[in-house]
Amino acid sequence: MNDDPESLHRQVEYLLQDRKPERVPLPDEDALRARQTAAMLRAARPGVGLPSKEFLERMQRLIKEWVGQVSPPPAQAARPSRRTLLLTGAAGIAAGVAAALGIHRLEQPPARGAGMALVEHGSWQSVMAVAALPESTPVAFRSGGIEGFLIRRGSQVLALSAVCTHMGCILNYSKFRDRFECPCHGATFHTDGQPSNQSGHRLPALPALQIRIQRGDVEVYSV
Amino acid sequence: MHDDESTDVASFASPRRVVPLHQAADLDSRDHLTWAYQTHVTAIYQYVYTRVGNRPDAEDLTSQVFMKATKAMRSDVSLPQLRSWLYRVAQTTLVDHWREYYADHAGELDEDVTRPPAPQENAEAVQRVDSLLAALPENYRRVLELRFLRGYSVRETARELGLSETNVKVLQFRALNRAGRERGRVS
Repeated sequence: MNDDPESLHRQVEYLLQDRKPERVPLPDEDALRARQTAAMLRAARPGVGLPSKEFLERMQRLIKEWVGQVSPPPAQAARPSRRTLLLTGAAGIAAGVAAALGIHRLEQPPARGAGMALVEHGSWQSVMAVAALPESTPVAFRSGGIEGFLIRRGSQVLALSAVCTHMGCILNYSKFRDRFECPCHGATFHTDGQPSNQSGHRLPALPALQIRIQRGDVEVYSV
Repeated sequence: MHDDESTDVASFASPRRVVPLHQAADLDSRDHLTWAYQTHVTAIYQYVYTRVGNRPDAEDLTSQVFMKATKAMRSDVSLPQLRSWLYRVAQTTLVDHWREYYADHAGELDEDVTRPPAPQENAEAVQRVDSLLAALPENYRRVLELRFLRGYSVRETARELGLSETNVKVLQFRALNRAGRERGRVS
């Protein structure tokens, strides 16, 4: 059995219509690779590959149900130490950033969910020279598993997670509107990480990331 | 800023901390775990989508990944552990998918398994596709660009390239096979 242009073409047509391709027996490894390559090319088209709102909502319900069936975690320490609180709390992060820069405390510590930005067993990764940061315009960066924005205001540098606190899409910065915008469902955040006022429920603020300045470079603690 | 605080800040920079999820915020641990999974749905979906290239399969496989992951994972994990676990489950789920789909020829499909997770899968995919296309002869590159990146129909592609529709299908066939071998070579 040989592969042929018609069979591959049908598969391509399915992919281009975002439909599930037929299951067909394939003659060899090359035929399979051609199909995998078609899938990869299809997914590289701008604007495709984001989950639908319906799917995300369905997954939210399912995950809640599945997690509910997991056995409970082992009993935790009765009270976290003061240090743990400082390390994990929003105040800890804000103080870390401020102290590293020798400046005063940031005014609005990120709210609920701030601890999630914490990285375990990570290392400091240089991201960009402080001098390269424009005044007040967020600059996107990625370091290991961390995706974020750096914002310099005068001598202060703030790092915010670029992951939308709604459903985890990666935010874009709109220079025109000076805010972060989610490509998935339209959530918006001010450049201090607070959610913009919107109808409906209020999203958690964007967590601040741990950064420090070393020899003129901004370093992010990341995995 | 008083002294006590800066002392704590110094230890804050130390890379030896372990912060289990349920201590990392003042939420009930189960709610927190649920939330931690939920925030990864989009990333895992994109990861899967860039490999299967269609929505029904991407939805199906993504929900399989989370079902397996939530069942097998302890609930006192850290966020990085949870994330890398999800990607590992996604990788094995994809290998199984291709194996099931095309029977005997998925034996060597572990090419992507060592790849580190990419939070922005679509951007990542675009990069990989760019370098793949750059490695192809001009006519192969053209046909794949027109069909996949610009969404031209076979007829439109034929007109653009001055070929018959049959020739476009043959060219597309050769281009995808060549690109598939190039990918194999890279990995």
